[in-house]
Amino acid sequence: MFATQKQPELLPYGKIREDLFRPLSGMTRKYFAAILIPLLIILFGAYAWTVQLRFGMGVTGLQRPVFWGFYIVDFVFWIGISHAGTLISAILRLTDAGWRKPITRAAEAITLFALMIGGLFPIIHLGRAWYFYWLIPYPNMRLLWPNFRSPLLWDLTAILTYVTGSAIYLYLPLIPDMAQLAQHNVPWRRKLYHALSLGWTGSDTEWHALERAMKLMAGIILAVAISVHTVVAWDFAMAIAPMWHSTIFGPYFVVGAIFSGLAGLMIVMAAIRKFMGLEQYLTRHHFDNLAKLLLLMSILWLYFTLAEHLTVWYGNDPADMAVFGARTRTRFAFLFWLMVGVNFVVPFVLLGIRKLRGITTGVIASFGILLGMFLERYIIVVPTLSVTRLPAASSNFYSPSWVELAITAATFAGMIVLYLLFSKLFPIIAVWEFKPHPHEDEI
Amino acid sequence: MASVTYLLSEFRDKDAVASAIHSLRAAGLGTGDLDVFSEEPIEFRRGVLDRPSHMSLVSVLGAIVVGSVATLFVWWAQNNYAVVTGGMPVYSFWGTGVITYEMTMLGAVLATFGYFLWESGLLRKRDKTKPVPIVPPECICLRVRCTGDDVARPTALLRSAGATSVEKRASL
Repeated sequence: MFATQKQPELLPYGKIREDLFRPLSGMTRKYFAAILIPLLIILFGAYAWTVQLRFGMGVTGLQRPVFWGFYIVDFVFWIGISHAGTLISAILRLTDAGWRKPITRAAEAITLFALMIGGLFPIIHLGRAWYFYWLIPYPNMRLLWPNFRSPLLWDLTAILTYVTGSAIYLYLPLIPDMAQLAQHNVPWRRKLYHALSLGWTGSDTEWHALERAMKLMAGIILAVAISVHTVVAWDFAMAIAPMWHSTIFGPYFVVGAIFSGLAGLMIVMAAIRKFMGLEQYLTRHHFDNLAKLLLLMSILWLYFTLAEHLTVWYGNDPADMAVFGARTRTRFAFLFWLMVGVNFVVPFVLLGIRKLRGITTGVIASFGILLGMFLERYIIVVPTLSVTRLPAASSNFYSPSWVELAITAATFAGMIVLYLLFSKLFPIIAVWEFKPHPHEDEI
Repeated sequence: MASVTYLLSEFRDKDAVASAIHSLRAAGLGTGDLDVFSEEPIEFRRGVLDRPSHMSLVSVLGAIVVGSVATLFVWWAQNNYAVVTGGMPVYSFWGTGVITYEMTMLGAVLATFGYFLWESGLLRKRDKTKPVPIVPPECICLRVRCTGDDVARPTALLRSAGATSVEKRASL
């Protein structure tokens, strides 16, 4: 049980530094195995993409009238996961929550990697990926410019801003740690850290500038993070399609994104704690706080889901009701109610009942939430397109092909590989931020 | 030209450093002559060693400039090849407001980062004549820049404030 756990004693700084820098050195067989298996999955995913590039989009399960399928679901899912880091880190930093310290970097790294992965899907979904550059406004002979009114271009600018901001937000607090790492290390690492730390000396001028920049960036990144998932929601909401054209889609997506992001963060933190031996730093106290946040987001998610569906049901518009029926009673009903179960019922029981709340149950609930949020995106994307409005129109059932499944699996493997590489190159907990102070009792 | 000497002193706690800074400033040294080195950020009370900054202003200016340029570019591009819109405006703020917003934010991000690199001195050419102390664990170092040969008084002030060691270094 979390709540009865006492806070650990303050540790000497030398030990903190040793503990947090230790995982960077040495490669074990387990590490190689952990990286090799996902690499094989990535290779298979890359092969699947080459098949799609060679033979066209016909190798996917996409067919009339469903032209948005797993790739769009993946895109929304990964952009949602990206909200784990920067947004949560920024909120905790701005509110000066002391318990954030061991969490923020792990979370910020998730953001960057999830964005890199999520950003790939619009390109994969294009089919002719080599024409991706047509989205970029560049001078050309025919005076043709991209359609700036298209939500696709909004996505491009929003993701570009979010990736840039998140990369800087991750990089800034890494500088002091890299300066320390540059002092004692093998030559190639010394060179790498020295170059990346830009000759940081630890002077008060540098610290002041860093703190100011971090505070400003936290404020800016909050506004950007919220806008990014709102823009993703508007990809749907701007279309006059049943159960997409909704004014609450923006906040609904933002809540869902934070919800799935927190679940992803919980899983990553549990893995870091177990496999890097950081039990003293990622304590039950942190998991308890995260579990409470997760529970809050679960309730908020249910509220938005209810609000969205109840207004549609009450309006009784035939086009909307056709999709509503497909979601809740017929074709997609199993997925819909499974989503409600794993997104609300399971977390409510496992995290809401104090006696059941623990790291293991938190991780179980988080895996359920990730599944539930993937299903949520599927249920938003596919039924609206599957239920046609013209009587003569065909209404095929969409199911993803092996190509879509392989590419989706590869992105999950990609996340694991990126995270494993990152955790070998950089301390996963900010050492300088974690340094205890004589009057501090917030580890 | 008067010779420049640096005093590198070590302290165990930040109150002692603040006391040393007070004494040294009372003795006529400016904030530009004093630098504190530490392994973590140290917060002094207001007035001890203030480092005024224009970062917020630069951030806002960056946002305005990039946001405006992006909006103008979109306006120009829309009018550069006027598509048939059926009487609707060629350029619409509603239709392109998201791009304006995102580019405004990008401007703020880039300006903040750029100004951080400038203000922290990481991007500027370093004055290699200044010795940089190696900060031992749990210590705070105070570097004092003294002009002229008289370093006895600053040394005494540092020691009386609680410096555990004071080392005299010539300009490199």
